[in-house]
Amino acid sequence: MVSVNAHDPERQEIVSRRTVLLGGGVSLFFAGIGARLYQLQIAEHQKYRDLAQNNQFNKRILTPLRGEIVDRFGEPLASNRKNFRILLVPEQARDVDAALDKISKITPVSEDKRARIMREIRRRGAFTPVQIADNLSWEDFSKINFELPHLAGVLPDVGETRDYPHGAEAAFVIGYVGAVTERDLAAQESDDERILLRQPGFKVGREGLERTYEKELRGAAGAMNVKINAHGRVIEEMVDSAVPPVQGKTLALTIDSDLQAHAMKVLSVPGERMPDEPQSAAAVVIDVVTGDILVLASTPAFNPNDFNVGIDPQLWKELNESPYKPLLNKPLSGVYPPGSTFKVISAIAAQRAGMKPSETAYCPGRVWYGNRYFHCWKRGGHGTLDMKGAIKHSCDVYFYEIAKTLDIDLLAETARDFGLGQTYELGISGQQRGVIPDRDWKKQYFAGNPAQQPWFQGETLSCIIGQGYVTSTPLQLAVMAARVATGRAVRPRLVRAVGDLVLPAPEAAPIDVDHDYLSVVHAGMNAVTNEWGTAARSRIEDPDWQMAGKTGTSQVYQITAEDRARGLDKPEDLPWARRDHALFVSYMPYENPRYACSVVVEHGIGGSRAAGPKARDIMKAVAEKDPASRTPLDPRTLARAPSPRES
Amino acid sequence: MSSIILPGRRRGVRDKLSRLHWPLIILLTMIAGAGVVTLYSVAEGNWEPWALKHGMRYVAALGLMVGIAMVPIRYWMALAYPIYFAALIALALTPFIGEVNMGARRWIEFGGLQFQPSEAMKIGLVLGLARYYHGLRAEQVSHILYLIPPVLMVGAPVGLIFIQPDLGTALLLGATGAIIIFVAGLSWRIGLAGVLGGVAAAYGAYRFDILKEYQVNRILTFLDPERDPLGQGYHLLQSKIALGSGGLDGKGFMEGTQSQLKFLPEMQTDFIFTIFGEEFGFVGAIGLLLVYLAIIFTGLSIAMSTKLHFARLTTIGVVATFTLYVLINTGMVMGLAPVVGVPLPLVSYGGTVMLTIMAGFGFVMSAHVHRDQDMYRSGDSLG
Repeated sequence: MVSVNAHDPERQEIVSRRTVLLGGGVSLFFAGIGARLYQLQIAEHQKYRDLAQNNQFNKRILTPLRGEIVDRFGEPLASNRKNFRILLVPEQARDVDAALDKISKITPVSEDKRARIMREIRRRGAFTPVQIADNLSWEDFSKINFELPHLAGVLPDVGETRDYPHGAEAAFVIGYVGAVTERDLAAQESDDERILLRQPGFKVGREGLERTYEKELRGAAGAMNVKINAHGRVIEEMVDSAVPPVQGKTLALTIDSDLQAHAMKVLSVPGERMPDEPQSAAAVVIDVVTGDILVLASTPAFNPNDFNVGIDPQLWKELNESPYKPLLNKPLSGVYPPGSTFKVISAIAAQRAGMKPSETAYCPGRVWYGNRYFHCWKRGGHGTLDMKGAIKHSCDVYFYEIAKTLDIDLLAETARDFGLGQTYELGISGQQRGVIPDRDWKKQYFAGNPAQQPWFQGETLSCIIGQGYVTSTPLQLAVMAARVATGRAVRPRLVRAVGDLVLPAPEAAPIDVDHDYLSVVHAGMNAVTNEWGTAARSRIEDPDWQMAGKTGTSQVYQITAEDRARGLDKPEDLPWARRDHALFVSYMPYENPRYACSVVVEHGIGGSRAAGPKARDIMKAVAEKDPASRTPLDPRTLARAPSPRES
Repeated sequence: MSSIILPGRRRGVRDKLSRLHWPLIILLTMIAGAGVVTLYSVAEGNWEPWALKHGMRYVAALGLMVGIAMVPIRYWMALAYPIYFAALIALALTPFIGEVNMGARRWIEFGGLQFQPSEAMKIGLVLGLARYYHGLRAEQVSHILYLIPPVLMVGAPVGLIFIQPDLGTALLLGATGAIIIFVAGLSWRIGLAGVLGGVAAAYGAYRFDILKEYQVNRILTFLDPERDPLGQGYHLLQSKIALGSGGLDGKGFMEGTQSQLKFLPEMQTDFIFTIFGEEFGFVGAIGLLLVYLAIIFTGLSIAMSTKLHFARLTTIGVVATFTLYVLINTGMVMGLAPVVGVPLPLVSYGGTVMLTIMAGFGFVMSAHVHRDQDMYRSGDSLG
């Protein structure tokens, strides 16, 4: 106990003194507040009275129309359409819940949606309008307009929304737009941009070209003064002094939407032996002269219109969980062992190593190397073949024999020269590189396992037929076909023009390779389709459009002795996910190449059965339209009607 | 012998009611009345949704105040530490069991009632600090060792509220604590060093990004409102326009065009002084401020006339909190203080703050009713 005496006069005196001081301090502060009141209400009264008059005008942001995305001939792939919607100004509605209840009677507002609206109100503050419902039917929109006198704070509005007239067809090229997030706001460079992005229902590019070219597509905001009455309703718009918004730039693509649509249809046709299985497939068509990508197809695909209005969670779940990966951009992001399509690379590499195409090898159906047999796909063997025959019949043993002495680094270099193992500037993210193995790659890949780091020649035997470590994307395979066909380093592109600016076609330098090396490959590929090779069924009869090709079947799962014992030896007996991938690369016309194509059918079992016919159907359509012979859109001719629109 | 000459004796309830500080009650009721009038006007002449509820809440809170005043101040002294620590524990638990609202966890559920531990702490801290200084001799107050407990007592809740994050309440609590310590008799030297340390800490918080972006924005906007005329500065600008256009005698009851036009957000809470000033002008606003000042001086005189050291400091603490509310709120709507979300006591719509304020004045009233009681430092009764 410190002291028993509670009476401590000194202590009381200090408190009294300090209390008086405190009272003095408080008085000073109140005097300050009073002085400020005097300043605002008496001294500057005139100024604020004038401002109060002006306050009845509000600045309103005019949102620009988003730039269109069109195909090579001007057909719109992404445009804008009228969107009847209703907005709510929370502070005018006062009771937001009651307002939502009333609206629900006309157009349902789900619990989910309601929670989202409440969140948005909290985030944006009570004086910013929030979107309650959009894409309303004209009937519902009229009903709400009729009820308007009883709906305080509700603003009917005709907005514009993104529209993808071709739906799922070009989903992976275009991407989609989505609602603005806090992160988007933080990423903006100016306050003006932030104000624009805060406009109700404003969307920004989320995926694909919509995202990459967000800046160009967005356009510039305009502004208009509006006069407001005592209820906060707009009574007059000051149109004369308005600054109109500027629509975003048009993006003109290399895609041909007709051929794209056709390719999507062709890919979706179920395989003849598996009518029940959906086709999970990819196709790419390139103009080998310009590098223009005419077709970039992937099935199954999502519909970007579903994303644009805020995707339904159930649908999102389905898309994510489907084994056929409808959200994966297979031509760019799907990686597959190229299988026998890789043999065109192997044949060039062998010649670079000094081999003559006339040299022959004998195929008994399998070959012993190291400690095991390497099998040919044809169990009985092909007999004696030269290089052209080996390509035509896709003989594995012929290439195994080459692989016994071929340097893996030379094979990898050849593969890279012809477009594999690299990504391309297309403006679409998520592109995969695939793997083209060489000694350096293996050292890095097995950094933690020194025993595995040296290259074993047996591995070259797997790689030379496009198996083992080798993987590639359908886009790379199409580029490979284009480069083999032309001998030039064709570079693919997807965007032809941004606004009025037409981009030059990328330079395609000659590849440093003896042209004779390519000739035998050309002859082999021609034989595949036109001389009763592995894809004879995929022959195009039209002599002007003879197609040369190469099949590929890449193993996903090795059927074991146990499987065979259980009576399972045909690939059809395996579950879908374990079946082989089917691939096909081709170009046409054979004599004077213009188009190259690749097709991959996931788990489609056979390149000649599943992939070749699809490539043929696509290429037939390409031949018929021959887009390269037609004049593409001149972006300067696009009508640019100024379309001021308020939000 | 009557209790008048035997201080500290139990008194009857009727006797105690007669000893209530009735002028203070009248002043408080005047303020609450101004609140009802303004809320009626904000709702465009409707008792719903705010004015009627506000009046009813005030009556209930007044009952609570009188109830607290009836309990002898020494009982409250015995409960001071328990109340402080209960509030501190609730505050520490809020991050884990609290409800998230407007991006901050401030509320917890207790027996079906929502309650805000940071509000309870406004009472708890005042009681706790007063109890602590009650046990100290005059010369101990400025001893550095005896300064450690109160600094911790203030620092812990301030830190917890700061991370919620609720910058306004954290600053308010810190300032209240500082005022109690100052009035308790801390030497000027240490006090000055503390203030300088606080300024350095604030600068450090700004430099090293401890403040949330919106908090920094509010301060920057306060310094330059034109910086963001459609965002943060919007409120302030609209608020100044409404006040300034009110002029000497105002636009009249329910005639405030600016506030009625809904250019102002949160009119019924933080920006209510603006409507009052717009409709009743300079004369009305100064009148309201004078009533506030009268309450504050009444409180200070009660503090000086009561015998119990705990009662003195508790009264100072409650009056300090009240004063800070008034100064920060009015300063904020006039651009003298950052917009930190502090209501105008008894005028702004909101039940929790009204309860806190009136409960606080309950202790002041109890100090007044039992002003002749004294006790040992240990807290044992003298009589």
